[in-house]
Amino acid sequence: MLPVATASAVTAKTAHSSRRPNLVSVGTIVWLSSELMFFAALFAMYFTIRSVSLGQGLKWPDAHLNVPFALFNTIILVLSSVTCQLGVWAAEKGQVKKLRFWYIVSFLMGAWFIGGQVVEYLELAAQHTTLSSSAYGSVFYLTTGFHGLHVTGGLIAFLFMLGRTYAAKRFTHEQATSAIVVSYYWHFVDVVWIALFLTIYFIQ
Amino acid sequence: MKVQGWMFLLCGVFFAAVDLVYWFWSKDPTGTTALGITVGLAFMIGYYLLYTAARIGPQPEDDKQAEVADGAGEIGFYSPHSWWPLFVGLAAALTFFGFVIGWWLFMIGVALTILATIGWVFQYYRGNFAH
Repeated sequence: MLPVATASAVTAKTAHSSRRPNLVSVGTIVWLSSELMFFAALFAMYFTIRSVSLGQGLKWPDAHLNVPFALFNTIILVLSSVTCQLGVWAAEKGQVKKLRFWYIVSFLMGAWFIGGQVVEYLELAAQHTTLSSSAYGSVFYLTTGFHGLHVTGGLIAFLFMLGRTYAAKRFTHEQATSAIVVSYYWHFVDVVWIALFLTIYFIQ
Repeated sequence: MKVQGWMFLLCGVFFAAVDLVYWFWSKDPTGTTALGITVGLAFMIGYYLLYTAARIGPQPEDDKQAEVADGAGEIGFYSPHSWWPLFVGLAAALTFFGFVIGWWLFMIGVALTILATIGWVFQYYRGNFAH
């Protein structure tokens, strides 16, 4: 009689692929989805105060928005997503110099956007539209301001990412991951801006 | 990962349907926008999980015959211990405290937050870990 008679422990199927999902990338996407809900609250605030203000017969938008200037800055920000993606493609091939070049270009374009926002804020402040001047002022500065803070955070992330490539002698897989998740964040902030721009400057 | 991906996509489809009903019923742009962005939340995760699943090949979690041991192996890099998150948290708390006390404290808080974040980001790039 055989010592073992029941089901075989070995299946014909080979072992699973050892490739596991990159948890930094997946985690970044999950975190960005929560960021999306943060901006959902800002959009909800915008539309609520807009409808209440219009219902009370108040002026909306209660400021002279410089739409062509904002459109120009928006185009710069959208193009910075393109340059950022070029950097990612370089990172995936391990071309660290190309990655640095495209990330520095993206950084400068993002910095231009923030500079444009500062100019815009100064213009509006000169026209007495401030955070406390009216409901519109509050909503305008809170929505665009929180987005501006996110862009600034992205700029800092670009610097950290670039710093990592310079700090290490070799370009590692981990650095490529950093570059890719920074690009996810950057694209996300860019897409949010397109929605904010359409809401604030076009739909008004 | 495929099952999780489809779960999020189906949630997205549900929110999209609710969003349409909500809009035609209430004509309220606030809730419609918030629900629309919720659709984005579900689709973003769902799409990314399916995209990752397609890239990395079959995974044990999608196989009903899989053994626990099939999921063994390296999951990722985790810091065994680090003081930096504590410093980042303290510095961030100080920054927000600055809103109450005054801008001078806020600026000190920002500077400390940046320093602590630099320490955190470059923790495994210097000293014994330089590579």
